[in-house]
Amino acid sequence: MKKGKNIKYVGDSRVPQDIDKNIPTDFSQYAGKTEPFYPSFLLKEWMVGAVFLVALLVLSATHAAPLERIADPNDTAYIPLPDWYFLFLYEFLKFPYASGPYLPIGAFVIPGIAFGALFLAPFLDRGPERRPLKRPIATGMMLLAIASIFYLTWYSVEHHDWEATKNQGKIVDIPGEDAPEIDVNADGYKLLVTYACTSCHGDKLNGGAAGPTLINLGLSSDEVTKIVKEGKGAMPPGLFKGTDEELKTLSDYISSLK
Amino acid sequence: MPDNDNKVTRRQFLNYTLMGVGGFMAAGMLTPMIRAAIDPVLKVKEDSGFIPVGDIKDLTNEPKRFDFKVTVQDAWHKSEETNTAWIYKDNDKIIAHSPQCKHLGCVVNWAGDPNKPNQYFCPCHNGYYEKDGTNVPNTPPIAPLDRFEVDVKDGTIYLGKIIPVA
Amino acid sequence: MLKKLYDWIDERLEVTPMWRDIADHEVPEHVNPAHHFSAFVYCFGGLTFFIILIQFLSGMFLTLYYVPDIENAWKSVYYLQNEVAFGKIVRAMHHWGASLALVMMFLHMLRVYFQGAYKKPRELNWIIGVLLFIIMLAFGFTGYLLPWDMKAVMATKVGLQIAEQSPLIGGVLKTLLSGDPTIIGALTLTRFFAIHVFFLPAALIGLLVLHFYMIRKQGISGPL
Repeated sequence: MKKGKNIKYVGDSRVPQDIDKNIPTDFSQYAGKTEPFYPSFLLKEWMVGAVFLVALLVLSATHAAPLERIADPNDTAYIPLPDWYFLFLYEFLKFPYASGPYLPIGAFVIPGIAFGALFLAPFLDRGPERRPLKRPIATGMMLLAIASIFYLTWYSVEHHDWEATKNQGKIVDIPGEDAPEIDVNADGYKLLVTYACTSCHGDKLNGGAAGPTLINLGLSSDEVTKIVKEGKGAMPPGLFKGTDEELKTLSDYISSLK
Repeated sequence: MPDNDNKVTRRQFLNYTLMGVGGFMAAGMLTPMIRAAIDPVLKVKEDSGFIPVGDIKDLTNEPKRFDFKVTVQDAWHKSEETNTAWIYKDNDKIIAHSPQCKHLGCVVNWAGDPNKPNQYFCPCHNGYYEKDGTNVPNTPPIAPLDRFEVDVKDGTIYLGKIIPVA
Repeated sequence: MLKKLYDWIDERLEVTPMWRDIADHEVPEHVNPAHHFSAFVYCFGGLTFFIILIQFLSGMFLTLYYVPDIENAWKSVYYLQNEVAFGKIVRAMHHWGASLALVMMFLHMLRVYFQGAYKKPRELNWIIGVLLFIIMLAFGFTGYLLPWDMKAVMATKVGLQIAEQSPLIGGVLKTLLSGDPTIIGALTLTRFFAIHVFFLPAALIGLLVLHFYMIRKQGISGPL
């Protein structure tokens, strides 16, 4: 189609004389049904914007952005998790043919092909058709990509231990407040050290590499005994190898921690 | 044009609505941000209370330098700063001066100028103050030295806020 | 008064034609939700831009309190979150805004893709769009580290390990991003901060200008 001053119209209309099949019809041919950007159309856009903003503000006011405890690069027990929009990639890299020696395939080849195809979409899909049903390959590829992204994200969310994630990142040392004093000479504390409880729950019992805090649990002595015997979360049952009497002392001690 | 000029045209009406919605969006976006930005202005600074600086027995009629430590909470940073006061006894009253010169904030010293052993001296621009803190006329300072709030308990001197002398 | 000031400026700089060009261009019927409700799919691009504006603003205000330093970054965020009035909300706006920007951008891309709106003559604008997509993901990746909390550092560690696996340039790329061949620490944080706050916004603004210029030049693609 000729552009600029060479353009030829049909009669006195704004319909160009020769229409290139590759180029979508120009909306200026539909004179009379259009409206000016300002103020008529902008107002509609701003209405949508205002509704959207209210939603964002409500979300922001009710849900604070998460903040975990200060980074400790030596904490090897921490299981990292990316932000949700990278979850699908995180899950994808767990597949046997996308991990280990094949990591470059999962991390570069496949995302590279996906983004490369996205870049080149206009040159791969060159036909004149624009309706999604009339170009099944392009539509099908995108639907497949969306389906796999959704599936991988869902799978990742479904199979992740969110409880553990929440606990491992909890802020334990609140700035300006000193960690609670622990009586290291108490019988209960000595038992915790003897049976290696402190290696997970921390020397100060306020949580550590793999275990949550033991302070101010609000559990009775019996409830603590039950957890020690049967385990909870990542803690397997039967870790405590001492006598029943020692278990009683230990449970009393933990439930008394404030 | 219709003869009634007060009539709102469609375009005007749309303009007003646009401004209204736009104003609403701007306000919604900016209110929390600006409130957070001006927080330091609106925040009420907590008083650090009275701090012990020394023994009342050490006081004389001559101003004496007392150094003491103050914990300063600077946002997330906590630090100890050394502060100084010049304290003397005036009959039963105890007067504690802040060493900050009222001219441009340098540090003054009692008898800092050997020629004038009975005045505070500020070396930056040669400012002088009398013993009771009054600025000597015709020297740069334009106001008397600030005083600390003083409290005495069990023979120990406690200093509080710095209060300018009216 | 205001009118006089406007006239004074207009006389010298001829601003009227500039804004009239933006204000008066005709919006076609098929993107107008008043005619077809389904035209709401055309608003995703505008909404993405709107959130980007919010991100710019809230980000600017966040830097009033934030320090990019491994000792103080977390403390400053904690302070902002707990001691500054509305600091929590500003940070939440930036946090949720980031997620929403990605969602809206993805929807906008799907609209363009399924409508085949990237076809001739709009190929170049599509390529700019994909570049914008990558820049937004980079924003997400670099911004995630800045609070310097556990998940930030650990996730970045993984991200950098992936970068290290890239063929040929792997090791160099990782060192370039983290500032040190082995440590993820002080230099990583300053680098990510600089990239997030200066380099990426500059690229984003440049590409957005091109994106919008091309839309004005070529118009919105016609109805299906």
